Amino acid sequence: MNNVMSVIFASDYENKLNELTVHRTTASLPFSGRYRLIDFALSNLVNAGITQIGIVTRSNYSSLMDHIRMGRDWDLNRKNSGISIFPPFVLNASREMYKGKVEALFSIQGFISHNDEEYVLLTNSNVAMNIDLEKVYDFHIEKGADITILTHRACPTTSRRMVVGSDENGRINDLYITETPDVNPVWVGVNVYLVKKDLLMDLVVKYYARGFYDLEKDILTKNVAELKLYEYRVEGHVAVIDDVKSYYNENLALLDSDKRNKLFYGNGVIYTKVKDSVPTVYRENAAVKNSLIADGCDIDGTVENSVLFRGVKVAKGAVIRNSIIMENGNIQQNAQVSYAITDKDVTISDGRTIAGYETYPVVIVKGKTV
Amino acid sequence: MNKRNNKECVAMLLAGGQGTRLGVLTRNVAKPAVPFGGKYRIIDFPLSNCINSGIDTVGVLTQYQPFELNQYIGNGQPWDLDRLSGGVYVLPPYMTGKAGEWYKGTANAIYQNIMFIDRFNPQYVLVLSGDHIYRMDYAAMLAQHKRNHADCTIAVYKVPIEEASRFGIMNTNEDGSVYEFEEKPKHPKSTNASMGIYIFNWSVLRRYLIEDEANPDSENDFGKNIIPNMLKDGCKLWAHRYEGYWKDVGTISSLWEANMDLLDESSGINIAAEGSNKIYARNAAEPPQYVADTAVIKHAIVSEGATVFGEVRDSIISHGAHVGAGAKVIGSVVLPGAKIANGAEVYYSIIGENAVVGAGAKVGAIQTAPVKGEWCIAVVGPNVEVKDGGRVEAGDMIG
Repeated sequence: MNNVMSVIFASDYENKLNELTVHRTTASLPFSGRYRLIDFALSNLVNAGITQIGIVTRSNYSSLMDHIRMGRDWDLNRKNSGISIFPPFVLNASREMYKGKVEALFSIQGFISHNDEEYVLLTNSNVAMNIDLEKVYDFHIEKGADITILTHRACPTTSRRMVVGSDENGRINDLYITETPDVNPVWVGVNVYLVKKDLLMDLVVKYYARGFYDLEKDILTKNVAELKLYEYRVEGHVAVIDDVKSYYNENLALLDSDKRNKLFYGNGVIYTKVKDSVPTVYRENAAVKNSLIADGCDIDGTVENSVLFRGVKVAKGAVIRNSIIMENGNIQQNAQVSYAITDKDVTISDGRTIAGYETYPVVIVKGKTV
Repeated sequence: MNKRNNKECVAMLLAGGQGTRLGVLTRNVAKPAVPFGGKYRIIDFPLSNCINSGIDTVGVLTQYQPFELNQYIGNGQPWDLDRLSGGVYVLPPYMTGKAGEWYKGTANAIYQNIMFIDRFNPQYVLVLSGDHIYRMDYAAMLAQHKRNHADCTIAVYKVPIEEASRFGIMNTNEDGSVYEFEEKPKHPKSTNASMGIYIFNWSVLRRYLIEDEANPDSENDFGKNIIPNMLKDGCKLWAHRYEGYWKDVGTISSLWEANMDLLDESSGINIAAEGSNKIYARNAAEPPQYVADTAVIKHAIVSEGATVFGEVRDSIISHGAHVGAGAKVIGSVVLPGAKIANGAEVYYSIIGENAVVGAGAKVGAIQTAPVKGEWCIAVVGPNVEVKDGGRVEAGDMIG
């Protein structure tokens, strides 16, 4: 799809990922054993032939730069098109970080208008899904939409979600933002929008000049009648990550083979940075059940209902249950880890016990030794 | 000559071997492209050794079933061999003027690429073969070659005396200089087996290649012709002793053994990173492996994208392979994308790429020791399907 370019927002304004994003952007948050969240957005784009991609960052973007480098691992090291990373910029007099997507888009007007593509796909990076964006484009054209909003079926939580109501044609007739949890599932936005470039820039310039920053609240919800907003419902598995609990739940959800197959094999290949790890070694005392294990691990202990990222060591007698162990975690002899998220390079020393609770997994910050 | 293209040392990797002894595993691919160790192919070892030794210009000489190998090597990026100057080049035989012929022998293959090597104006040429599993620092060998002011340095590996008659044996003086080379001697005088790894001064080798080509009786082989001729003429040949793990994986039994050696720390093979030196491979872009509630995995190596629901012991499960519930995989190598269906049993076997072992089928048998040095390994060829309940006997090869 040479007619579509993309802007990815690497940092989410409204997330509650706490310790997990102290050192990194949401985009570079490790997910499902060997990926970073942005891999899903990038892979969906590349699989649909969208190769003109701008990534807007707010802060702590060095881990993102390190992950993406020249974009080669996504086949995005191109002469024409490829990845452009926009570091944080200061443009308002108070020298603050950009406020909301409207200001971010305003500040990269040059990038957006310089390129030849007619459409822009806007996406947050806190969503993991595997979808065919060409179908979204076809839908957009067929409906004659101004803006197509992608949604999935979910229960509202305390995180900011946009609830979408539409008629039988998909034309949106109700749009509101909620932070009130509800046990009844509704169609909520996944923060992915397809829009004609000219319309987007008109809206951005107009609203930014009037002091508005929030794309969803200030533009979309206020233009339900004025703009032809259409809802595109995403089939397959969608993981939206906006707090520690959803991060924990969405990782472990992939132990379900059906969800895993939908996410990894649903439409196209999910690419990530190649690290040339060796395959995983299971030793004599290994006892692994219902777990997702990346390459480069060395397992001589017990691992159940867990996700192990690349290069994790599990020594003899160590027990890991219901946990997420990020890259190069070192779980030493007889250590016990349950309901925990250990960030990169964490060591749990001999015999130590780390335990959270199902509804409140404990997070061990990057590089720490317990 | 453009000096910017000059390279001190160019590696020439002989990858044209048909590998007939690997049977169905090399029916459609050249031997260096045969999968190994869960996520690698044999050629990853010499290519990774090159880049880890600082050699960034590698010619890969292919002629047998080259498509998969060519595609695998691509632009060399996985091995960091995509360079502005140098990098990796796939070199098939080609036509010149009216003439053109297959590579007749190892020396002829290099002879036919003299023009390629000359483009880099190297002082030294490193000749490698593409069918050995080992890690070696060619830079150390080159340093020794320079120290000795040698014309040729040959890597040697100590083999047991009873096996020495299967190898080319270098008989050396105390200082390591070679005074005699014997190809598969009946009564070996020493146990220094040639590993088929040579460093030559290019100007010297170039002369010998041209002379050798002019001799119609020559077999155009390094071991049989070039090395003996150089010795006869009094060239300075030295042995470079290699101490680590080295294995020729030319037979089913040795290929299986080399895979099993990955599970045995005492074997000395080490594929883990040594500092920043890794064994590189083209990545398959698979998700993490999934190990189910019903799985038992002990003493095994499992790669990305594999799904294990059954029992795996003493085995290598490659990327994208599947082991169904109730299935048993013991002492076996399951190559990429192969599927072991529910309740199937696989013992001491190699299951080819994308092969299927049907539900309840049984392949191979448990063995306690090799017979006359050869294990009786069952082989299911690539893309072959063993029917539900089917049987493949130990040592059989189907495909």
